[in-house]
Amino acid sequence: MLVLSRHKDETIMIGDDIELTIVDIRGDKVRVGIKAPPSVPVHRKEVYDAILKENEGASTIDRSDLGEIPPPRIARL
Amino acid sequence: MKVQTTRFGTVEVDDSRILEFPSGLLGFSSYTQYALLQPDNDGLFFWLQSTEAAELAFVVTDPSTWVPEYQATVRKEQMEDLELTTLETAQTFVIVNKYDQTLTVNLQGPIIVNLTNHQAMQLVLADKRWTTRHEIVRLTTQERLTA
Repeated sequence: MLVLSRHKDETIMIGDDIELTIVDIRGDKVRVGIKAPPSVPVHRKEVYDAILKENEGASTIDRSDLGEIPPPRIARL
Repeated sequence: MKVQTTRFGTVEVDDSRILEFPSGLLGFSSYTQYALLQPDNDGLFFWLQSTEAAELAFVVTDPSTWVPEYQATVRKEQMEDLELTTLETAQTFVIVNKYDQTLTVNLQGPIIVNLTNHQAMQLVLADKRWTTRHEIVRLTTQERLTA
């Protein structure tokens, strides 16, 4: 992993069109400003990871798991 | 087309039920084509069955059935990727998971389908109201009933 030191208000360029700016530093929290083209998805990694983990879990679901589903009227209570 | 599945054997799927996920699902990016199978018991749950990997299938459901206020935000560039001009021709599904005796849906990573061209993608929503494990059904098992 490439590690760069940056002060507040300094920026890192990634390629030609992605900019990461250190907006604020307080204690162990850093606020990062991200400028990227709309086509580049930007997510907090934990959100991405949570969805990925759910997908992996959900992919192993079996027919029998749904066999016990009560009728929708009860399910919506 | 004929689709091989580990859960249902070989099934014949009408082309109108085939969905293309150019980016796949998160964690499964190499699988880009799925068949939307409707189970015979009711219309609440569907199987999203990979046409490329027999063992890969997800249960999906229409979130509005369970969470009426739910709204997946589709960004402009995502609409462009799906070639969507309006959300009226789109259908939202959420993936179902099971924890112990509870069925949950992933509201944070919904699937958007363009009903016109059958292009689909999984979104990652930033909205903190929607979680990855929203509880929808508590299953009642035989064991519980007799316990």
